[in-house]
Parts: sequence; C-alpha cells; structure tokens
Amino acid sequence: MEARSEIPPGTLYMLILKTLARLGSMHGYGIAQHIQQTSDDVLQVEEGSLYPALQRMLIKGWVLAEWRQSENNRRARYYALTPSGRKQLIRELREFERVMAAIGRVIQPA
Amino acid sequence: MKQLWRRLQWFVHRSRFERELDEEMRHHLALKAEERGSVEAANRQFGNVTLWKENSRAMWTGRFWEQVGQDIRYGLRAMTANRLFTAMAVLSLALGIGANTAIYSFMDAIMLRALPVAHPEQLVILNWRAKAGDVPVVRNHTGSSYEEPDGGKTSPDYPYPAYELLRDNNHVFSTVFGYAWAGRLNLLVDGQAELAEGQYVSGGYFAGLGIRPAAGRLIGFDDDRPGAIPVVTIAYSLWQRRFGSSPAALGKTILINGSPFLIAGVSPPEFFGVSPPSAPLVFIPVHDLGLVDSNRYNDVGTRFIDSHFYWIEMMGRLKPGVSLRRAQAALSGQFRQWVASTGQNEKERASVPALWLQEGGSGVDSLRRQYSKPLYILMTMVALILAIACANIANLLLARAAARSREMAVRLSLGAGRLRVVRQLLTESLLLSLSGGALGILVAMLGIRSLTLLLANGRDNFTLGAALDWRVLLFTMLVAIATGIVFGLAHAIQSTKVDITPALKETRAGSSRGRTRRFGLSHLLVVSQIAVSLLLAAAAGLFVRTLENLHSVDVGFNRANVLLFNVNAAQAGYKDAALRNFYTTLHRRFQAIPGVRNATMTHLPLVAGSGSGTGVTIPGLSATNRETMITSLVQIGPEFFETMQVPILLGRPIDARDREDAQVTAVVNEVFAQKYFPGVSPIGRHFGFGGTKPVDTEIVGLARNARYKSLKREIPPVVYISYLQAGKNRPLEWMYFELRTIGDPLALANTVRRVVREVDPQVPVADITTQSRTIDATIAQERTFANLCTCFAALALTMACVGLYATMAYAVTRRTSEIGIRMALGAQRRRIVWMVLREVLVLAAVGLAIGFTAVWQTTKFLQSFLFGLKPNDPLVLAAAVSILIACAILAGYAPAWRASRIDPMVALRHE
Repeated sequence: MEARSEIPPGTLYMLILKTLARLGSMHGYGIAQHIQQTSDDVLQVEEGSLYPALQRMLIKGWVLAEWRQSENNRRARYYALTPSGRKQLIRELREFERVMAAIGRVIQPA
Repeated sequence: MKQLWRRLQWFVHRSRFERELDEEMRHHLALKAEERGSVEAANRQFGNVTLWKENSRAMWTGRFWEQVGQDIRYGLRAMTANRLFTAMAVLSLALGIGANTAIYSFMDAIMLRALPVAHPEQLVILNWRAKAGDVPVVRNHTGSSYEEPDGGKTSPDYPYPAYELLRDNNHVFSTVFGYAWAGRLNLLVDGQAELAEGQYVSGGYFAGLGIRPAAGRLIGFDDDRPGAIPVVTIAYSLWQRRFGSSPAALGKTILINGSPFLIAGVSPPEFFGVSPPSAPLVFIPVHDLGLVDSNRYNDVGTRFIDSHFYWIEMMGRLKPGVSLRRAQAALSGQFRQWVASTGQNEKERASVPALWLQEGGSGVDSLRRQYSKPLYILMTMVALILAIACANIANLLLARAAARSREMAVRLSLGAGRLRVVRQLLTESLLLSLSGGALGILVAMLGIRSLTLLLANGRDNFTLGAALDWRVLLFTMLVAIATGIVFGLAHAIQSTKVDITPALKETRAGSSRGRTRRFGLSHLLVVSQIAVSLLLAAAAGLFVRTLENLHSVDVGFNRANVLLFNVNAAQAGYKDAALRNFYTTLHRRFQAIPGVRNATMTHLPLVAGSGSGTGVTIPGLSATNRETMITSLVQIGPEFFETMQVPILLGRPIDARDREDAQVTAVVNEVFAQKYFPGVSPIGRHFGFGGTKPVDTEIVGLARNARYKSLKREIPPVVYISYLQAGKNRPLEWMYFELRTIGDPLALANTVRRVVREVDPQVPVADITTQSRTIDATIAQERTFANLCTCFAALALTMACVGLYATMAYAVTRRTSEIGIRMALGAQRRRIVWMVLREVLVLAAVGLAIGFTAVWQTTKFLQSFLFGLKPNDPLVLAAAVSILIACAILAGYAPAWRASRIDPMVALRHE
C-alpha cells in the first residue's frame, strides 16, 4: 500500500465543493478520483465517508443530484453545486485559510 | 425548514433512496474494478458497504431517531426476554392507572360535570338549614332533607308563598324558578299504560335554564296558572320510544294518572332535568299538580297558600356580576323576616330555618350526598394502589439493574457512550410505562362499565353516564411515566457508574457506594408497600366482615321464594272502596295462580329502605318528647303473617274478621309492646294513631320482631294493620304484593302481568323482583365496597409480594459468593434459608409496624360504613397481619430456597 494521508477533519466538504466547482458536475467515483489525482495521491477519499458526506450536502442544499449517462455509457448519479453550495465553498475556504495561517504562525521557526 | 421538507420527502421515497444508493455503489465498484482490474480488490478496498449505507441513511434520519429506533427494538427484545418481569410491571401499572382513571372519571361525573343548560355557572340552588332538633314552622314537608354532621338539617323545599316572595322581590337573580318531584306517574299513551317519572315545573323553569325545545314548545308562564289548559312537555326519549319522534305527537292527548294533558313540546335529548341521577319523562306545570295528585293530597287547594307546607324547590340565575355571597347576603334577611312571621310563638321563631345558597351548576346534589363519601374512600384506595404500582416498577427496575450490571459493564468496556447506555435504559423504562398505560386505558374502560352497573344498582333510568376522562388518564399516565423516568434514570446512572473491572469479574468487592444505597432504597420501597398493603387488607377485612354481618342478620321472616311487585291502581283512577276492592280482587286472583303457596300485600316493601311512621297515643302514657311517641306502620293484606312467615307470639293475626266496618285492630311487634306496654301483655289494649286521634285501635296480636326498613338500623316499634281499616288514618294508594312461590319466583312474572292486565289493562305492574333481591339491593353499597376492597387488597398484596420477591432475589444474587463461602465453611442449608427469611421477616415487621399505626389512625374514618363491628376490630386486624406475614414468607421463601441450593463450588469458581 502506498502511504496516503488522511483527509484533515472537517475539510472533506470543502474538497468536494471545490472539486464540483472545478468540474461542473461529477459522480461520486469521479470526485474521489479527482481529489486523489490533484493531490498527487496524497489525499485518499474513503467511500465510507464520501457518500454520507454527499447525502449530508444534499440535505443542506449545497449540491443537487441527477442521474445521467456517463462518458462510458453507464447510468451514474451526478452531483452539481447549487448557489448556496458556492457560497458555502467560499465560507469554508476563508475559514480554512484563516486556520492555516494561524497554524503557520504557530509552527513558524522563531 | 427546507431541510425538514427534504427529509420528509426522503422519508416518503425511502425505498427509491435505497435503490439509488445501491445503484450508486455498484457504479462506483464497477469503475473501481476497471481501474484495479479485479472485482475482489475493489471490494476489499471498498470496505464495509453496509456501514456506509447505514451512515448515508443516518444523514437523512438523523442519528437521534436512528438510535431511538434501535433502542425501542432492543427494549422490546429485552421485555420479551424477561416475560415475568414485564408482565408484572405492565400489569401492576395498568391496574394502577386503570383503577384511578375509572374512579376519578366517576368523581368528575358526579361532582364536577355541569348541567347541559345555558351558563350553568350562574345557577344557584336555594336551600335552607336549621339547627338540630325540631323545626316547628315546618308542619308538613314532602321532598327531601338531609342530616348534617353537626346534627342540623338541610332541605331544598319551601312553602309556595316563600317561593313567590323570593321570585318576585329580589335584585340579585335575573330569574327564579321552582320545581318539585312528581314521583312515578301512570302514563296512558294510545291505550297503553306505563310508569314514568314526572317533574312539576314552574312556568319559568325552561326559560330560566335556557333550554330550547327539540319540537313544539316548552312549558311557559301561560301554562302555569290556575285554569290554563293542562299541557306537558315530554322528554326526548319518551317521544322517540312512544311516538317514533313524529311531529304528530304534538297536540296529542295523553292521560297522566287519569287526567288528560296535551303534549305541547319535547325537551332536547341531552336534557335530564336538574337532578342528575333521575330523568323525568314528563314535565308538568306546577299548578296542574291537583290533576295528577288529587288522590294522595286532600290539600291541593291550600298547597299554594299554606306557609307551613314545605314542598317546592327553587333555583335562581345570578344576574351578571353578582356573586353567590352577595346573593346570600341580599336574600337571607328577607327570608328570615318572612319565615319568622310564620312562627306562632317565641319558641317557634327561635328555631326557624335559614336560607343557604349553593352553586347549582352541576344540579341538585342528592347524588353527591349519596356517593361522595364512598367515592372519596375508593379514591384514596386507588391512589394507594397507584403508589404501590409505582413503587413496584421502581423496585423491579432497581432489581433488574443489579442483574444487568455485568451487561452494562460489557457494553461500557466495548466503548458504548455512557449517555447512550443511559438513554437506552430510559427507553426501556418508558416502554414499560407506556405499555402499562395503554393497558390501563382498557382497564379503565372496563372499570367504568362495571362501576356504572354497581352504582346504578339495577335502576334502568340511571342517567349518570361517566365517560373515560382523558385528563385523568393523562395525569395517571404521567405519574407512571415519571416513575419510569425517575427510577429508570436512577438505575441507569448507577448502572453506568459501575467500576467496570470488578463488575466484569463479578467479585464481592464489586459493591460500590452506589450499590449499598440502592439496596437501602429498595428496602424502603418494600417496607412502604407492606405498610400500604396492610392498610388495604385491613379495610377489605372490615368491609367483608360488615357484609358478612349484614348477610347473617335475621330478618325475622322467610325471605326466600317471594315474588314482589308493585301495583298502583290509584293512578288509574280508582278511589276509596273501588281501590280497596281492586286490590282484594287482585289478591284473590294471585292466590289462584298455580305455583303460589300464599299471597299477601303490603303498602310498602319490607327491608327495602322505605318506611312510614306515625305518632301514637297510649292512654296513661304522656308524651315527654314528640320523637319518642311514634311507631312505624305497615298496612297488610290477608295472610300476611302466614305468607311472610312471621311468628305470632301472643293472640291472633289479622284475619277475615278485621273488615272495614269492624273494630280497628292491630298486631304489634315486640319492640312496640316493650316500649309502650312494658311488663304487661299488650293483647286487648288500645292505642290511637297520631296525637289527637281517638284511642280506637285494639291490639289483638303480638308478632315476633322482624326487620322493617333496613338491615342496619335497629328494629323500630311496628304496627301491622289491615289495609281495609287503615283508610281511616292513611289514604290507600299503591300496593306491593308478596307471593310465596313453590319454585323460582321470577318464573311467575309474566303470569302476574297477565292477571293484572285481565283485571284492568290500564294498571301496569312495576318493579317485579324478589324479596331477597330487594333486601340485597339495600346493601349494594356494602357489597360493592367489600368486593372492590378485596380486589384492591389482593392487588396490593400481590404487588407487594412481587416487590419483596424482587428485592430478595436481588439480595441473594448479590450474595451468591458469600453464601458459597458460608456453605463451604459448613453452614447448613437450613441456616441459609433462615438467614434470608430473617431478612424478609425484619422487612415485613417494619412494614407491618408502620402499617399498623396507619390502620389504627385511619380506620375510624370508615366507621359509618361498618356494621356490627368496631373500626379496629381485633379479629380483622389479626387476620390482615397474618395474611401479610404469610405472603411475605411465601414471597421470601423462593429466593431463600434458591440461596440454599447454591453449589459452593460453582459459587466460588464464579469469581
């Protein structure tokens, strides 16, 4: 097994939202693949957390789901951002940057 | 809000969601398999499919509800696993809740329910009160009066002039209306006779109550005046039954006691008058009283002007903004002045009645007087039952907690959150309480039905329909649920506080501080259960003994195989000689019925709660006090003493010689002879009826004492006099016939009806029953009490035993290894049994000591319900105590025996 890092807690929603913002609309497998590839295989999304997260986002109204034919002619559920999902992404990004900056200040060599 | 909507939609399309999730997962796996090149690898890496589906679902349902579902499922499984525990807990709760709801629903129906009239809260009943002793201004009184606890007297009846005065001269009522009970009347509709209860009402009665007619018009002011065309308002039920609710009934003529009345209208279906237990079928204007009652009262003309004849009841409707207190203040002076003016001397004026107003919203209070005290006693009892039931639930939960501490430890050590475990245990207690409550509704409904039967006591026109009171049910359920929560919580918190390691090992050292305290609590519960059980057992014992005593009362005649029924020919128009002849003819016909041994008649049934009294004049014996110179009286027909089998001790019975025109003769009982002719033979002596009548009655016989009015009261002096000769002193009216039969008396009921119909179809036969049933009916309340209390006591005892058993069983479980060591060291099995039983006995002794003190203090409140024994009857108390000790030993023996069977090897290895 290659060494993979766990996704930092609380950032999964942000990663999914960002992926969908970039790809337009995508099915679950595609989202997981995209995150893995763009992170150079550092971040691995567990199916066990991906699908519950997507359901949660459906409830929150951040994403919409729709069944479509995929590029290789399979029926797949595609997720797409809603306006409120877009707003949420901005909120999450801002929050993440704030936290990262804070962490950076703490671990900076004096 | 939007989220809730989406969740709801999800819930509706649950199955589609599952399908889609499955498809999504398959799609994912397929893509993955393509990437990995093998399905197995994909599967392996994918992990726990069920879990992620479950997690996805949980997103929608919310973890909370998902877990509630789990808890309920688990709780139900636990309940079915411990069937005995569940049955005990649910049953005791159901009985507790059900009994309380039933009794309190009745309480509500009797005490609190308002009349179905407009603004019942404005209605006021006008009563009067008088101090103890005679009220000389009341020379004549028909209606009702009640003894107050202080010896005083209360009555709702007034002379007509007083009614007119208060009706026409007051500033506090918008209206005052009067009414009087008309008794049972002979109603002839289309040639068919029936007996129906009637009510005299003043012209303002219906208007004052704010009643609207169901058809036609109600009696108004124009109907209630001398010379008006006689009209009646009939009850809805009569309209339905006899006229098929046809409007053609209006304007029809019916005969009431032989007088024609026009039906003017019909009262609404829910209206039953102002006196809840009875339901008059005809409402007659007060001024038509003479048409209906001419036979009984020769005073009809003077009734409306006599200031000393108390007979009409009244109600007023308060003007808006006027309080009961202000009305009382405004009217009492007025009434005092009036009533004082009717007194003829200082002495009479000194003890005149005083006006006393009472809220009238729930109607006349005869029912409340009759049933309120018994209901209070029953209420106390069921409240105690509920307390025991709750204590039982608590105890069972505590005992079970002990048994499950290992299970809890396992769960906690496997990583279950403490809150999660507490919640699960709480769910279980709530499930118990709720199922108890659900079953309790059933018990309550059955209870209400049987209580209605008990209270109605065979009366077919009993209008007190108590309905299941949901507020009461809710309250009792809340009590039960609160118990479940409090003790469920206590047990849950304690269970989860266990020190995991020792609990898992189940060592002796596992008794933490919490456990010792719990042990004490369950002991406390058992002790109080035993105390309360003793209280109920003692009460049951007292009532059962009372019933036994009443049953063993010697009535002085043979009550078996006597058919008893009522015939009232006076209401069909018979008078004087014709009336006497009618009854004589009937009597002869009855005697000829095959299967009838003898027949006789009396003007009132014996030992049926009714009596008739009169003053006596004895030559040479002066009245020191009016009260003492009275006697009870029965007008009897031929062969009375033979039929009823009352032995004649001296002289002769009343027989064919004692005709109307012959010397007036009487047979007296022993009490009469001893009271008025002490030490001498009464035969041949003379006395007179009333204070001023001539001394013209000769005593020809002495009869052995027989019960007269009731089983409970002492036998009064009684005079038996022929119905043919009584007319000179008391007008004859209805007649009760007693037929001694060879077989079952009731088998002759139809024959009797046919015979009477043959003689005159306009005279109905009423109240067909037997003499022994009539006597039984007078002690119905005592029987009800004895039965209910025995049930309650048995219930309480059972629950206390279950509680005791649970406590001891738990104690034994807890001490398994200790007992094992004892036995390994040579303790005898017998000693082990005794060790456990001793604890049981100590608990029982403490409970009994407390209970006994309570019994000693409280049974005196039952005094007025007892007969032939003292409230602290030693026999009853001893029996109650022994039964409880026996039950305690019984409940404690099983755990004790189990303790003695512990195998020391197994017990010690258990660690």
